[in-house]
Amino acid sequence: MFRFRLRRRAIACGGFALAVAGMAGLPSTASAEDVIRIGAPLPITGPLAPEAIKQKQGYDLWAEQANKAGGISVGGKKYKVEIVYVDYQSNTPRAVQATEQLITQDHVNFLFGAFGSGAAKAASTISEKYKVPTLAATASSSQVYDQGYKYLFGTFTPNDTLTTPLTKIVKAKAPDVKKVAILARNDLFPLAIAQEMEKSAKANGIEVVFFDKYAIGTLDHSATLSQIKSLAPQWIFITGYINDLLLARKQMVDQQIKAPVVTMIAGPAYQEFIDALGPSAENISSAAWWHPAEQYDGKDIFGKTSNFVKLFRDKYKTEPDYGQASAALCGALFQLAIEQAGSLDRDKVRDALAKMDVVTFFGPVKFGSNGQINSLDPPVFQIQGGKPVVVFPQAIKQGDLKLGVN
Amino acid sequence: MLAAQVLVNAAVLGCLYACIAIGFSLVWGVLNVINLIHGSLIVLGAYLAWGLYQWIGVLPWYVLVVAAPLFFAIGYLLQRLLLNKVITAPVLVTLTLTFGLDLILNNAMIYFFKADYRKLTLVPSLGSISLGGVVVPVDRVIATAFALVLTGLLYLLLRRSRVGRAVVAVRLDHDAAVLMGVDVKSIYAIAFGLGAALAGCAGVLMALIFPISPLTSSAYLGKAFVVCVLGGLGSVSGALVGGLALALVEGVGAVVVGPSYATTLSFLLLIVFLIVRPQGLLGRKGFE
Amino acid sequence: MTRSSIALAVLLAVLALLPLVGGAYALRLGTIACMYAVFALSWNIVGGFLGYPSFATAAFFGFGAYATGVLMTLGVPLPLALVATLITCLLAASVLGAVLLRLRGHYFAIASLSLVEVLREVVNNATDLTGGGMGLNIPLASNSSVLGDALFFFYAMWIVLALTAAMVIAVSASKLGFGLACIRQNETAANMVGLNTTLYKSIAFGLSACFVGVAGGIYAAWVHYIDPSDVFDILYSVKPIVMALIGGLGSPLGVVCGALVYLGLEEVVWRNYIQIHSGLLGLLVVLLLLFLPHGLVSLRTRLFRRKAGHA
Repeated sequence: MFRFRLRRRAIACGGFALAVAGMAGLPSTASAEDVIRIGAPLPITGPLAPEAIKQKQGYDLWAEQANKAGGISVGGKKYKVEIVYVDYQSNTPRAVQATEQLITQDHVNFLFGAFGSGAAKAASTISEKYKVPTLAATASSSQVYDQGYKYLFGTFTPNDTLTTPLTKIVKAKAPDVKKVAILARNDLFPLAIAQEMEKSAKANGIEVVFFDKYAIGTLDHSATLSQIKSLAPQWIFITGYINDLLLARKQMVDQQIKAPVVTMIAGPAYQEFIDALGPSAENISSAAWWHPAEQYDGKDIFGKTSNFVKLFRDKYKTEPDYGQASAALCGALFQLAIEQAGSLDRDKVRDALAKMDVVTFFGPVKFGSNGQINSLDPPVFQIQGGKPVVVFPQAIKQGDLKLGVN
Repeated sequence: MLAAQVLVNAAVLGCLYACIAIGFSLVWGVLNVINLIHGSLIVLGAYLAWGLYQWIGVLPWYVLVVAAPLFFAIGYLLQRLLLNKVITAPVLVTLTLTFGLDLILNNAMIYFFKADYRKLTLVPSLGSISLGGVVVPVDRVIATAFALVLTGLLYLLLRRSRVGRAVVAVRLDHDAAVLMGVDVKSIYAIAFGLGAALAGCAGVLMALIFPISPLTSSAYLGKAFVVCVLGGLGSVSGALVGGLALALVEGVGAVVVGPSYATTLSFLLLIVFLIVRPQGLLGRKGFE
Repeated sequence: MTRSSIALAVLLAVLALLPLVGGAYALRLGTIACMYAVFALSWNIVGGFLGYPSFATAAFFGFGAYATGVLMTLGVPLPLALVATLITCLLAASVLGAVLLRLRGHYFAIASLSLVEVLREVVNNATDLTGGGMGLNIPLASNSSVLGDALFFFYAMWIVLALTAAMVIAVSASKLGFGLACIRQNETAANMVGLNTTLYKSIAFGLSACFVGVAGGIYAAWVHYIDPSDVFDILYSVKPIVMALIGGLGSPLGVVCGALVYLGLEEVVWRNYIQIHSGLLGLLVVLLLLFLPHGLVSLRTRLFRRKAGHA
């Protein structure tokens, strides 16, 4: 009996020794000198996995383009780019750990922020402590930037820049819209944007007849939708991630719920939303931080917006959306900042980012004193004929807002 | 009118929940195994339906013919090769084993199918029927009908066939069944196979209704838990009653106290039921 | 003190020396290691000593994280908040234990699992207090350097681990421990010979909750931001079980070793196989249960061993 136990313990100890040895054998020092390493903590597994894939596509496209052009030139010398990915399993604390690991173990030069507002905020505490410039591709909530951090920059404007133009254009095109029903996923970003919507609606004299949130992982919206139907709102505003919105839209059709305006954030910008819904995606409006129809002549590696779209299509055989574009932009911005600073020194690159004032394929980029971008005009768009069509702002408008979602 | 609509919604949803839970209930009842891989099997079934429709345009209800034997084989082999080895171990071991298997299957699906949400959208769409202001979506009705047929078939199988009687015998009294010469290990494998087949068929039907992604497996599993406890274990009618009860609580709860409380309510109900009536609405006491 | 208790004390002392050899990241791993060991040791009281399959670890952890987090946002200093968390967790879990531990086997497993779901949704909906789905920002406990912070939280977590270990050793040597073993062997018989099984089970549940809650509290102060789906993650319930299975159910030294081994494996797999790490973890669990069930043998040998230890 006793020998048995001893053997078991020996195996356990052996396992531990093996584990430690495995850890020690990992790359712990920066590799060759002529490589710039950028760390990217992403939720590659877990509920946010689909978003992580998009981010990764954006980063990869940029890295590929940068390396194809010979790399980033720093003071006359060309550096190749390498992106170091770590999976944080859609778990915020893991994101914090991953960020520290990237800085202290993988010795990355710079960082991309974790996905979304919550994780980006939590992880920024670490990057700030180590003074590593961080570009967050998908953090929009202004609370992320109110900590007085100097090394965090974000490429999404605050949430209200989405809802305000949306409300204005609906009010201009459909003055009959008097009642709005808002249904939000009980989760950081979807809830924050729903609250902004509530404010915008009230500010514009639209009555909010329904405001409620649903739990993460809700499998059925039929009861809630029946209730919304009975209130007969002219505008239905639903927030969530793509799975929630696919389900909600399907159930709206099932229940024959119609309204002049139906807005969903943040799914319709994604090609798979349109693919999955087919004709029932028609006339759904949404807003996003970027749209492939935009026409900027950028000074970054991608140049014109159309060039970025083409490169993206060639590589991934699908239309880019704002998440992928923003990720690619973050790479392009690092490149611009490094080239401007002429150095890989983190403080110099940080200063170059802070001073940045440049037009990119994504639009004009200039960061406010809190680090959040303040130079963008997010477009409002609508699915028309199976394609997203920009209806606002005027400069890049492709069509008018159509009423009636059946 | 709202009340009628909510009740009809709940009735249809309840049958779908029963369909999700029935295989889980069977395995729990007969093998005394909490089968955590159930949710992922449902998702795998949904991918099968989605893939066949995208690829050669086979309608989901025809896919059932392929799915049932395929998933039966998967389940049978899992039980024969893996679970039977630890079936006599404490509760914790079998549960943890299925947890490990679930991690593997789920990760494999994320790896091969990506985590993107997909949707099986029939063209032309089936639409909805409207009866005096109450709207019922046709695809849900069809899924419900098939769910009822499946549960009916299972009921007949357990009642009428020799194998089915053996399964029931093992469920009721394991030791007596052994004494009567029932090959328990093979009955276990058959029961697990049946559970897997029901999961796969449920997945095929759910493909019509819910977005498809490996990430939804835990939601299915959660529903199966609640349905089983509410309705009672291992019985066909119990799953149906449990499903209806759950859907009703969720639907009415969403309207009365708000949709964010609907899930909380169902889990609270589950705990209360466990404490005051662990045998479920219809089940019998036992299976500890 | 038995030999294995002494070995455990030595192991913990060695762990405390980690700051001498490691930097900030090693300290982070060390902090997580202590946290996992607290989970495993605490779970072992109900899962190992008492033999009830509990999935409530995540519920206690999340509850503790939120209790401490909310208190800190109200201006309560960290140590006081942690003490309050400890007491609340102990009391709440004792009451719950008296009710939930009436259930056996799978029914108890499911009830403890649902406890996690219910608490998560309650926190999700108590928006005014907890921020709901928006998460909760916790004020910084200290404003020191990277390493100073890492040291502080490492030792805080280590102290909780030491307390947990002391508690577990005390329990296993006491009448309570003996009573729990009796209940595991045959609850009905234990009841008949006049053991107040409800009281024993209730105390056991409370003790298995309180230090997990405190660990949750330290954790919340450590990461500054918590949200319901992160801290009420069901994996926190499953991991301690796997650790205990690795190390051997019931043996405090075993489960602590199990926790360390598990963390080591998790770290290696997580880093090297980005796309398939959860599948590999699953494979590990399956292989462990099928081919290395020695951890389970101790379930039967434990009693023999105790006799040997006393002799």
